Parts: sequence; C-alpha cells; structure tokens
Amino acid sequence: MSRLLKTSKTMSLLLALSASAMLTCSSDNPTSGGETGGTGDASTGGAEQLDEWDQALLTRDVDFNAALRSAALKLTGRLPSLAEIESVAGGVDEAAQKAAFETAVADYIERPDFSRQMFYWWRDVFKTGGNGQLEQAAAFAARISVEDTAMTELFTATNGTCTSIDRATNTFTPDDCQNGVPQHSGVLTHPAVMSHFFGNMAFRRVRWVQETFDCLAFPAEVGEPQDVGGVAPYNGVWPFESISGDETGRVDFLDAQGVVCANCHQSMNHMAPLFANFDEDGNWQNNIAVPLPTDGAPTAELRDWLPEGETTAWRFGVEATDLPALGQVLASDVRVAECTVARVWNWALSKGDIVDALEQVPSDVISTQLDAYTTGGYKMKSLIFDVFTSEDFYTY
Amino acid sequence: MINKMKIGFYASALLAMGFVGCSNVGSVQEEEVIDDSLPQGAEGGEDNTFSHIDIYPDVWEIVQRNIDVGPAKFRARLHSCSKIPNNSLRNVLDSLGVDTNSDQNLSAGRIFRESGPALGAPNYEARIRENRSITTSSASKAFDIYVQAAPEIIDAMPNLGRCQIGGQGPEMFDGADNCTENGISCLIGSKATPEHVELCNETVTRASDVEIGKRMAVAVLAAAAHTCE
Repeated sequence: MSRLLKTSKTMSLLLALSASAMLTCSSDNPTSGGETGGTGDASTGGAEQLDEWDQALLTRDVDFNAALRSAALKLTGRLPSLAEIESVAGGVDEAAQKAAFETAVADYIERPDFSRQMFYWWRDVFKTGGNGQLEQAAAFAARISVEDTAMTELFTATNGTCTSIDRATNTFTPDDCQNGVPQHSGVLTHPAVMSHFFGNMAFRRVRWVQETFDCLAFPAEVGEPQDVGGVAPYNGVWPFESISGDETGRVDFLDAQGVVCANCHQSMNHMAPLFANFDEDGNWQNNIAVPLPTDGAPTAELRDWLPEGETTAWRFGVEATDLPALGQVLASDVRVAECTVARVWNWALSKGDIVDALEQVPSDVISTQLDAYTTGGYKMKSLIFDVFTSEDFYTY
Repeated sequence: MINKMKIGFYASALLAMGFVGCSNVGSVQEEEVIDDSLPQGAEGGEDNTFSHIDIYPDVWEIVQRNIDVGPAKFRARLHSCSKIPNNSLRNVLDSLGVDTNSDQNLSAGRIFRESGPALGAPNYEARIRENRSITTSSASKAFDIYVQAAPEIIDAMPNLGRCQIGGQGPEMFDGADNCTENGISCLIGSKATPEHVELCNETVTRASDVEIGKRMAVAVLAAAAHTCE
C-alpha cells in the first residue's frame, strides 16, 4: 500500500474517531432521562433519542448472583460464602435481592481482606511493588482508602507516606519517609516512586503522574494547530517557545522535523523540574540530580527544560512553584477526581487499565458517582460502594 | 471532561503523526511531497529528536474495538471479562480445599505456584502491573490447575467452612453420583442453576468412568465459572 493511501486512510479513521468521540460527549445516557426523554434539554426539543447502543443497554438483565460473586472476588479476594449466596438468591423479589446484595457489599468493604485488596489494587495502579520499599506507596494509598481519609491526601499528606502493610493481619503502619525532601506531598515526594521512575530529565516521573492521576497519556494539553515550520503543526496550548530549544538548552524540544516534540513536552517540561532534585535512590538533593540523555549523561540544568522566565506548572495557566503546590493543584483538579472514579469503575466492570488498555470511561457514564465523590469528601469506600451497587454493576 | 480531552487527544494524534492536514490529502501529485527520510513517531534521528517510545495510542485498536464491541459510552457500561488475579485465585483454591503449598509433582498447588508468568503475574521491577487480560496461556494454565485440583475439591467440600450452613457442608456429588446444587454453588461462588446441574451430570455420565467424569465435571464448571473475575 502506498504511503499516501495509508496516510489518507489513517486520517479518515482518525477523523471518524474524533467524530465518534464528539458523539460520545453528548449526553445520551438512557438512564438519565428515560426512554421518553422526560428530563431532556429543552433547547433540543426535550426528546432524547436512543441509538442502537442505548437500546442494546436496555436489553441487559439484572443478576445479583453474578454481581455478588464479582464483588466478593474484587473486594475481598475470595468467593462469597454459601450463606451469602443463599441470602441474595433467596430474596423474595428483586428489591429484596438488591438489599441483600448491598448489605454484602457494605460488609465486604469493612473486612480486613478489603485492606489487602486495596493494597493490591493500588500496587497495580501505581505499577510499584515487589519489595518492601516499593510497596510503601501503594500501602500508603491503600491506608487512606481504607481509613476513608480524603483521597486528596495522595497529593497533600505531609506525614505517614511511607506506610507498610502486615500481610498476615492486613493492617497498615504509617511512617514518615526519610528522603530529605523539604516538605512531603503524598506520593509526589515518595522516595520509592521517585526511585522507581528515575530517568532522564525526570520525564518518567512526570509521565507516571500524568497517566496515573489524569488517566491520559501525553499529549495532555491540546489547542488550535499552529504552523511552526515543521512537517506537522504544533497543537499545544502553551506558546511554542515556552520550552527550550537547542539555543537555550542542550536538547532541542522545539524540533518539528519528524514529530513535533512540543506537543507533549509543552506540558512535560513545565512539570519535570519539580521532580528533578530526586536522585536515583529517591532522595532529595539540593541541586538537580537527573541526567540529560546526551553523551556522558551530564546533569540537567533548568535551562534544558525551560527558557529563562518560564515557571513550573501543572497546566497552562496553572502554576505550581514546588511539589506541595503541585499537590494542591492535583487535589483540586476535577479531572484528577474523575480519573480516580474512572479507575474504580473500570476495576468494578473488569476492564483493563484506562491508559494502557485504552479503556475510556465517558464522563456521562460516571457523572453520578463523580458528583457524590467530590461532594462527599473524596472518600474511597463511599466511591467503591456507589460503583459496586450501581445499576451497571449488577446488570449483565 | 475526559471525553473532551480525548477529542483533543485524537486530534493531536492526527496532527502529530505527521499528517499535514486535510488540504494536503486527496491529490496523487502530493505523494511526491512526502519525505520518507523523515523519522516517524517519536523515534530518534540524528540531530533532531531523541529516540524514545512512541506513546501515542494505537488508533487502529480503538477503531477495531468500536467496530467489534461498540462505542465507549456503550462499552464502558458493560462488564468485561478480566481473569481472577493470582492472589485471589490462590484464595479461591484455598477456599475449595486445595493445598496450594503442596510440593507434590503435578499437584494443583505446585502448578499454581510455578505458573506466575503464564498467569500474567506482575513484573513491578519493569513497571508492569499484573496482566488482567485472559490469554491463551493463562486460561489453559488455569484449566490445568482445576483438573488437578478436582479430586481435592471433591474430598474437601463437606468440610469447607465457606460452604457450611448451620455447620453442615454440601457434598459435590450425592450417593447416586449426581451433582448437588449446593456443591456447584460452593464451587462456582454463585447460585447454581438447573442448567449447571444438568451440565454437571451430563459430564459425569458421558465420561469413560464415573470418577473421571466427576473430575472433569468439577474442572469444567470451575474453569468456566472462574474464567472471569
């Protein structure tokens, strides 16, 4: 196949995908307005049209038996007992079965087994584990999940971030990390995470934060296409020259001859310096401690990421002068909250990783759970209960 | 909100993958302006980009998924089928009376313990989480485990704490070698249906002898029920 043909075909598909995604954005959740669209938007005439996919969703059956097994396996790591199975299956009607099922879910998330399951879940979300220190970040996240502390502590906790777990009792012991950081900020300053994701110019750490907590691979910020003299437009939101090129630093992030580096690096370069003082062991140094990917691996300098006058940030217009500030920004970013809800949703419905497996969860699908999560204090147990007792969970 | 980002994301992928724009597509002559010497994706080239993994999504995979399963708004609301995580599988086997610490050759416990990679165990040192997808190797290995575990399960079932009601545990098979409803419920972790019982009995009666049939029935029911978490 010729290159042009391939190009055209791929482009058509991408455009179709974009169109498809836009359609997904429109509010067409059949459960929100009912078949007759009773709560439909008046500006569109009030009638909510159900497409073939909405119709297909209406053909699912309620199955509390299957839901009980799935919930038990996920929340306790065990099959339900025969007594629990009989309790749900023996309900005289659907309402009774639903009540028994919800009682079981509420019980599961109070069991010690749930602590272990949370630990395993966070270990996979973080991709950290395998030895004591590497498990401490997941154990910290699991602890605040189980203790029903606000999950924003993931980014703002100033102590207890090096938590250990006793596998025999499924209990947590919080401890303070001793890696010399001026102020701890949850997992953002965790030595095990900083060590595990050590790499050139701290980009691996940035990518971890981006994908883990924003559920989106780079590029994270997308704007109008701009011609920057390359083979493709730059379509970021930061000014193109807000990151370093080879006249400012020693790596040309303004290169646009093959791929427009700035599409991703506009965001990465404004965040990476925040993580640059952690060395290979995850200990904080007074100076930058990450190398450049150039001959001799010299230590990076601020000018390699950003030209003079540029400051660190989470997003364009959202400055973060240090890691505690970044933590505050992440804690208040609704996209980060939505990412947590989407990850729990995907876990409940047996999906793969939202980033690695491209298992997207449209906002409409989880809007109810997200609202409850953000207005209810970012509590993981409540979120899990809401998701595991949602209609989509017990309908097959 | 994620959706809006995704729209941009696709648009970004579209542009960043090196396709100049709609205005440049559709004319045969324009094939000449495409320079094959240019590096593609995020691969490195001399004096320009550093070589690193291209992290753009596989758009073909998304397209195929939309064709096969439906759009995200539909797909996200359906249960998928992820395998039982290895730690949970161990608990399941334990709760069915299987000795997961057994060192006996070809025992279910030993096969389980020695099958981490086949079962998709995580490799955190390489920053890889447990593979929750069902693969040929994980499904076939799980079936191997259930086949070897079946005799242990049949023997242990009356004494399994998880399956006792009022201090009484179920038998997997009654005195006439028929499958019992409670035995199947205990095995699969869900209320057994008449179809489950029928399938179980058919598997027993169609086997060359009853003991092999019982073993196959337990293995088949367990493997089928525990294919998905």
